[in-house]
Amino acid sequence: MYLPRFAFEKPTSLKEASSLLTEKAVKSTLLAGGTDLLPRMKYGVADPERLISLKGLGVSAPKVLPEGDLILDGASTLASVALSPEVAENAPLLAAAAGRVATREIRNVATLAGNLCQDTRCLYFNQRHTFQFVEPCFKRGGDFCYFIPKGKKCWAVYMSDTAPALICLGAKIQVEGDGAGALLDLEALYSGDSLHPLTIGSDTIISGIRVPPTGGTRGWAFSKLTLREGMEFGALNIAVLLETGKDPGTCTRARIAVGAVSPAPVRALKSEGLLVGGPFSPALLAEAARQVAEEVTVIPHHGYSKWYLTRALEVEALNALTRAVNQLTGGR
Amino acid sequence: MRTKPSKRLLELTINGETYELAVEPQETLSEVLRNRIGLTGVKEGCGTGECGSCTVLVEGEPVLGCLLLAVECERKRVETIEGQAEEGVLTPVQQAFLEKGAVQCGFCTPGMVLASTALLKRRPNPSEEEIQEALEGHLCRCTGYNKIMEAVLHAASSAADKR
Repeated sequence: MYLPRFAFEKPTSLKEASSLLTEKAVKSTLLAGGTDLLPRMKYGVADPERLISLKGLGVSAPKVLPEGDLILDGASTLASVALSPEVAENAPLLAAAAGRVATREIRNVATLAGNLCQDTRCLYFNQRHTFQFVEPCFKRGGDFCYFIPKGKKCWAVYMSDTAPALICLGAKIQVEGDGAGALLDLEALYSGDSLHPLTIGSDTIISGIRVPPTGGTRGWAFSKLTLREGMEFGALNIAVLLETGKDPGTCTRARIAVGAVSPAPVRALKSEGLLVGGPFSPALLAEAARQVAEEVTVIPHHGYSKWYLTRALEVEALNALTRAVNQLTGGR
Repeated sequence: MRTKPSKRLLELTINGETYELAVEPQETLSEVLRNRIGLTGVKEGCGTGECGSCTVLVEGEPVLGCLLLAVECERKRVETIEGQAEEGVLTPVQQAFLEKGAVQCGFCTPGMVLASTALLKRRPNPSEEEIQEALEGHLCRCTGYNKIMEAVLHAASSAADKR
């Protein structure tokens, strides 16, 4: 399967990269790891005229600031994030999520910012349309959805594993380009629109990710549901971060984010509210898991039915919450 | 306006030899290795990163040749299956694949061998879970994976015996 022809630039500074991206005469796209972009180009569903590689900019190693913030380079590979001692110590939830993305071969090349900026996916869209489908779907500029033919919009889902983890951690992203040097909440990066899942423009570069320190004692868990383990996009994923004060049994802060079931990662706010304040008990965790499945509306995708995903979400939520609480209470 | 792509001069070290090539931006590493250098041990299956058969080592780490632009590998050290055996003597991993019957049609074998070689360099005595993790991106439709698992464990224990 061959790539279409395109021009190629490899700038050596962020300023140069931004300036190339803003040249309107040529339809340009950033190339980081390319593991999401290049298959779409091979399928013919992305067709940039020019790729601007970020490989010439260099990559900074993860570092921890004196105030405790963990700073990650947007161009860090997922393998380096998953294996970094700094990340393991300061944000183990992120290390676990990064280590569950695809395969080692892909993690060795794919970048953290690229994983956050991946396009939404659909069983019909992510294929070669030239011989399988005739009518262009919403994602390809048409007005038709193969998944729900009578639907009025695109139903593709956002699959990143690292986004829910970073949202739980309250991460911010450093944005260069049209938002010149702005620091945005990661949650604000996602529009919830399958067609245009990101709120930043295509002439914007995510140069860094800042993860604030966790207060108190933390318990965390990342779960990804796949039928065969190994290299698969998740049927769903869920990240949980719980914090306690002096009493390890009482929750002071709870974060639950669910991914791969909708056009953007979703926080389970009501469930988080149930957990905060109350002492952990099996009944409370079961109630919180049930609440997650109730408040997060799942889109059936890639052969998984809505009924199955909703049931699976409750089971995975309970598993993740139980693991997080066990960390806090030492298995009590 | 679509600008005309221009060829770029690329220097690659492949299996210890340095090559200078003029490549188009859209040429992937596996295309350059197969079509320009003639290293057809790099198998391209799906072409979209799902089967692992185009795996090569870049700077000692396994990557997918089908999803890596050749122009992104400037001055990088690339290893393919052809560079593994020296003067006809198989590496411990290749020998173990042979002895344990982990090779059938052979299409996935180069990728499996290279990913296993990188794993054993990183973890000389891996657990079964670590082997599964290292090989999870490699599809094999012949062996059922058990023989491959046995081969990697055998290669690890043979190397340990020699140490």
